[in-house]
Amino acid sequence: MTSQLPVLLQGALVTAWVSITAIALGVPLGLLLAVIRWQRVPVLSPLVAGYVSLIRATPAITLALLIFFAIPSLGLVLSAATAAVLTLTLNTSAFNCEIWRAALIDFSRDQLEAARAYGMRPWLTFRRIIFPQIVKTSLPALVNEMTLLIKASPALAVIGIVDLTRAASRIGAATYEPLPPFIAATILYMLLVLTFVGAQRLAERYVRKKLIVA
Amino acid sequence: MSRDFLVVLEHYDQFLAGLWNTLWLAGTTLVLASIAGCVVAALMLSPQKLIRSPVSLLVDGMRCVPFLLLAYLVYYGLPGLGLQFDSWTCGISALIIYHTAYIAEIVRGAWTNLSRDQIEAGKAFGFAGFLLFWRLILPQLFFASAPVIGNQTVQILKDTAFLMIITVPELTFAATSVQATYFVPFASFIAAMGLYWLVTLAIEATVNRIEAAAEIRRAA
Amino acid sequence: MSLFAFNAQGLVKSWRLIVTLLVTLGVASISSAQAQSLQEKIKNGQPVVIATEDDYRPFEFIQDGKPAGLDNELFQIMKSEAKFDLRQEILPWTGLLAGVSTGKYDAAVTGALINKERVKVFDFAMPIAENTHYYLKRKNDNSIKEIKDLSGKTVGVQSGSVLFARLPELEAMLAKTGGKLGKVVQYTSYPEAYQDLAAGRVDYVVNGQINLLAITAEKPGIFEIGQAVSGPSYVAWPVKKGNKEMLDYLNAFLKKMRDSGKLVELQQKWLKVTFKDLPEHVEPSF
Repeated sequence: MTSQLPVLLQGALVTAWVSITAIALGVPLGLLLAVIRWQRVPVLSPLVAGYVSLIRATPAITLALLIFFAIPSLGLVLSAATAAVLTLTLNTSAFNCEIWRAALIDFSRDQLEAARAYGMRPWLTFRRIIFPQIVKTSLPALVNEMTLLIKASPALAVIGIVDLTRAASRIGAATYEPLPPFIAATILYMLLVLTFVGAQRLAERYVRKKLIVA
Repeated sequence: MSRDFLVVLEHYDQFLAGLWNTLWLAGTTLVLASIAGCVVAALMLSPQKLIRSPVSLLVDGMRCVPFLLLAYLVYYGLPGLGLQFDSWTCGISALIIYHTAYIAEIVRGAWTNLSRDQIEAGKAFGFAGFLLFWRLILPQLFFASAPVIGNQTVQILKDTAFLMIITVPELTFAATSVQATYFVPFASFIAAMGLYWLVTLAIEATVNRIEAAAEIRRAA
Repeated sequence: MSLFAFNAQGLVKSWRLIVTLLVTLGVASISSAQAQSLQEKIKNGQPVVIATEDDYRPFEFIQDGKPAGLDNELFQIMKSEAKFDLRQEILPWTGLLAGVSTGKYDAAVTGALINKERVKVFDFAMPIAENTHYYLKRKNDNSIKEIKDLSGKTVGVQSGSVLFARLPELEAMLAKTGGKLGKVVQYTSYPEAYQDLAAGRVDYVVNGQINLLAITAEKPGIFEIGQAVSGPSYVAWPVKKGNKEMLDYLNAFLKKMRDSGKLVELQQKWLKVTFKDLPEHVEPSF
């Protein structure tokens, strides 16, 4: 089993970098989509609503298969790694859109009107007033969605990504002793998720100190 | 491209069979995991630390693990301990175990947010024991947690897709099978996505109905 | 409370979704994949992409992190001789043929079998092996000694494969002795099917003779090969139908390998069996 550890760790590394990349892209993308819906941009807003509704209803495996096999028919060449990151990014952006949107909708009108009264431009209002507060409100839900993304990442095995789960199942299929690698994989996933939750605590402390002046 | 969709339509029976299996898996999981979830939630709220701690630990642990890994553990791992079941049993067991943990957490959250006033008033009026639970507590829990449980139901629906990897012939399996035999990937997966979306809409519509009923209750 | 009555919100959502779907389909149909010809790709300096499966012993698999097997070794020779950018993509079986059919890959150098459904969509290069279908059983399973014993037993096979598609041949064989085909379990890949065979979840697994020879060599005490369950079945490399340039390129390469004796040498090395008189073109009977 110890000889298989490097294979498992490599799988864990793949899971980690695919997840982190998708999160780094998906959180801002979700915010952009949420703002489009919040501002009711014509044409785009209903399209975003339809896209979010569809993607939130689609299992990660089905989405991965669709992107990997169907995108080429639109003329684009896609490697497995790109398709993997794209799948997770699109998936998480749809959920993040709803999270950001909930915070935006709940945002107090008073503050917006006050900013208007002071003559603050929309972008300044967003940057200094809205954004810091919605980050604080949305952080728990966003981190929860990040852990959900990590837990959806095994779906990428069907398009050839050797993530932690597939690495473990490969070892099991070769040695016919699947229990040890699967238990090791479980522990590694727990470590990954706990790392994110731990990072959330740190982020919450930072947000409380730096971004809120009150 | 239109030729592809015709091929998919030709094999609608495979898709419907897959959809039926998906619905059966999701529905059974929802019912059984809800019941088990309530029981586990009760354990998590137990005043005795000896019961509360290990159960809470297990629930938290279950929420750190990807569902597919749990399915693998049940399907490939358990035989190592002498317990071997067929793919269906493994699939539904993994789904139930996994979502019991989530539903337990939801019910526990709803419980701690119960309106104390209503319950105290009920006790003052003489409600006790089972009647108290059935007429006052359960309806509150139900209506309070309906939206979140609705979300969880959609999650259950999507987790069924993972079971294709342990050979359970659900909807995504059907779509993969059709596209592998007739080389129609785009049409096949779009068809599957459309079906998942329709089921999700039905779930959301149901949740909306429940929320509307909750509003009426609150007003009355 | 009717489960299927959409309220106003649901209707609005469905309208939005229909718009989105129509836009997607519109875009998709306008720009369908135009597989560029080999010459164009070479001229533009674009890479020619070949797909191989990630775990299909002994044709292609990963050993110690490196690609190994008959197809992988032939590909290495092709790559060393090619004067253009030849690239390899390794992926699971599920997407391999679909990728070739949509033009994502220029060809698949893989242990694919030829059948009627496939020749509608692909052109195959000359076969590199004959791989008649056999069944594999547990060595200690004495209830299976010949074909008729397979009646009613559970069989494992790869989803979307020719082995699955040609099960009717086995069904016909069983019908002759008054038996019938049992439950069919479809797997994403064969290692999982073998694992389940060892565990007792399935009673026998159907795969090509060459593949079964490889697995019994790997795990001799566990498995045993039975009898043939199909007529002749050939292994060849598929290209998208009409891609004559790629087909000619592959055939020229394979002819060179055959005439120099290298093909037979590699067959012996990897398959442990040689095929000296392979046809150059196969019309599938199934």
